[in-house]
Amino acid sequence: MGAILTTDRLTKNFGGLTAVNDVSFSLEQGEILGLIGPNGAGKTTLINLISGAFPPSKGTITFEGRDITRDKAHTVNTLGIARTFQVVRIFSRLTALENVLAAMVDRKHKGPWSLVWDSFFRRACALTEDKESCATADSLLDFVGISKYRDEQAGNMPYALTKRLEIARALATQPKLLLLDEPSSGLNPAELTGQIDLIQKINAQGTSILIIEHVMKVIMGISHRLIVLHYGEKIAEGEPEKVYNDPLVVEAYLGGDSDAQH
Amino acid sequence: MSARLRNILLWIVALAVLILIPFVVEDRYFMHIAVMAGIFTILTLSWNLLAGYTGQLNLGHAAFYGIGAYTSAILAMQTGLSPWLGLFAGGLVAAVFGLMLGFPALRLSGPYLAITTIGFAEILRLVAMNWVDLTRGSLGLSGVPLLTPIKIGDFTMQFYFERDYYYVVVAGVLFTLFCIRRLIGSEFGVTLQAMRDDEAGAQSIGINPSSYKLAVFTISAFFAGFAGGLFAHFARLVSPELLALHNTFDILTMAMIGGLGTIAGPILGAVSLTILSEALRSMEEVLKIDIRLIVYGLLLILTILFMREGLVGVIKNVWARVKGDR
Ligand SMILES: Nc1ncnc2c1ncn2[C@@H]1O[C@H](COP(=O)(O)OP(=O)(O)OP(=O)(O)O)[C@@H](O)[C@H]1O
Ligand SMILES: [Mg+2]
Repeated sequence: MGAILTTDRLTKNFGGLTAVNDVSFSLEQGEILGLIGPNGAGKTTLINLISGAFPPSKGTITFEGRDITRDKAHTVNTLGIARTFQVVRIFSRLTALENVLAAMVDRKHKGPWSLVWDSFFRRACALTEDKESCATADSLLDFVGISKYRDEQAGNMPYALTKRLEIARALATQPKLLLLDEPSSGLNPAELTGQIDLIQKINAQGTSILIIEHVMKVIMGISHRLIVLHYGEKIAEGEPEKVYNDPLVVEAYLGGDSDAQH
Repeated sequence: MSARLRNILLWIVALAVLILIPFVVEDRYFMHIAVMAGIFTILTLSWNLLAGYTGQLNLGHAAFYGIGAYTSAILAMQTGLSPWLGLFAGGLVAAVFGLMLGFPALRLSGPYLAITTIGFAEILRLVAMNWVDLTRGSLGLSGVPLLTPIKIGDFTMQFYFERDYYYVVVAGVLFTLFCIRRLIGSEFGVTLQAMRDDEAGAQSIGINPSSYKLAVFTISAFFAGFAGGLFAHFARLVSPELLALHNTFDILTMAMIGGLGTIAGPILGAVSLTILSEALRSMEEVLKIDIRLIVYGLLLILTILFMREGLVGVIKNVWARVKGDR
């Protein structure tokens, strides 16, 4: 199987700080790639670069053979990359269902003006009256296990569940690659098992995954391979067990104020 | 009774009341107030589409109102275009200006956007003041033609009295309301609300905020221009004062007090404040101070402090309590 995503010598400077330094890696089709490293190692920045939140200072990003280095976040999503955020960014005044419905709009083919047209001239214009989209959105809410909150304002949901809502919303854009930024932070042990199951189910449906995670139980359990960042540089890559015991990695975690949980 | 049926009944009752009002209250002065309330309802609904649903503060909305009024008036006076078409032409020209303002507005937010939009309206007001050949400057255009009579079979509907305009404005409000409800309830509307709640989150699901903001600026301006046209043929006088900041301030106050980001809010706010402002006008004559602005300012502050969701929020809370008691 070939690589779905490749970064080549990716670098990001924030003023004098190099948050991501010369990072090259590939993510194989269908793979779950774990991304770990101490606090401030540059993991989130790397996901921000891939998802188009801001452009890199140097280097390139290739997705399915296409150069997406300079593409904006919304373009990157329509190409087939979806993401979640370390600190959730849900639509707090919309219901859980509407959060997912908002992500299901066919933006590849429709711009704002054709949506304006639709709102007047398409029969099932009113969102909640469109049975088909609602059924799909409902099944996604069910898939991540938050059906109960369907009509709840997202801002009123428990934090742990908003993380799941973000996953459902990301899946609604039918991504080929999903970028997860600490999906398990703030979850209790029982919820962790559920989260592992969920991520594996998503992967089983053919979605490739890049996942940042501090919770070792999760990342060791699901990753096919691991990448380790330290001060913005990639210091190790390979099978989870090997990487975990790599002296460089051990030192990175012991040296910094690590909050890795075993 | 199903929710849908109840909704339909509610609409029928509301419509019947609106149609019957002129038969009950025949006072011309009252009808005048009702027309202005309707015009401001359209203005507030359209301003709220931008501010309440995308979170962008446009303090130049009155400019679109003025552009619509001038366009419709000038077309009717100089080319003899039917004022009925002029209403929509006014909306379209305002929409073009909305698109023009939308472009720089994309790069700005918060106070910068607010100041830019004030500047935009102020520049256009000065143009209206100084392009004397077209606008007759500060004198304004007087004698704007009335809406032309409509013939249906043997029956001819004239547009002469306040009461006649009242029906036109009610139709205008319903038209605006219909369009805005459709927009908000659709995929387009959900997109706007997603952007308002979290722009980066919205981008992550493929939404290009710039293109949607431009679209909303344009649509919002269209309805303000349409309201301007209604005003021009009703008041028969169009002056640069229409583009002044205090009109935008009135619109903003109405939206805030009614309830930002709702559909009922702007209607409640516009109607109640138009009536209040007429009540204060008579007090002003006695007190000899500009009490209206003071009251508006106070109401705005109180709303922001104690009822963020406006009158709509208050009604919702009271309703919930009444329901809870049973
Ligand atoms: N937008 C930004 N502007 C300036 N500096 C930034 C920005 N984003 C991140 N940084 C800095 O870049 C470095 C890497 O941050 P990043 O968030 O990528 O780390 P991380 O590996 O995700 O850490 P954590 O485990 O705490 O989430 C940090 O020093 C951070 O302060
Ligand atoms: Mg991070």
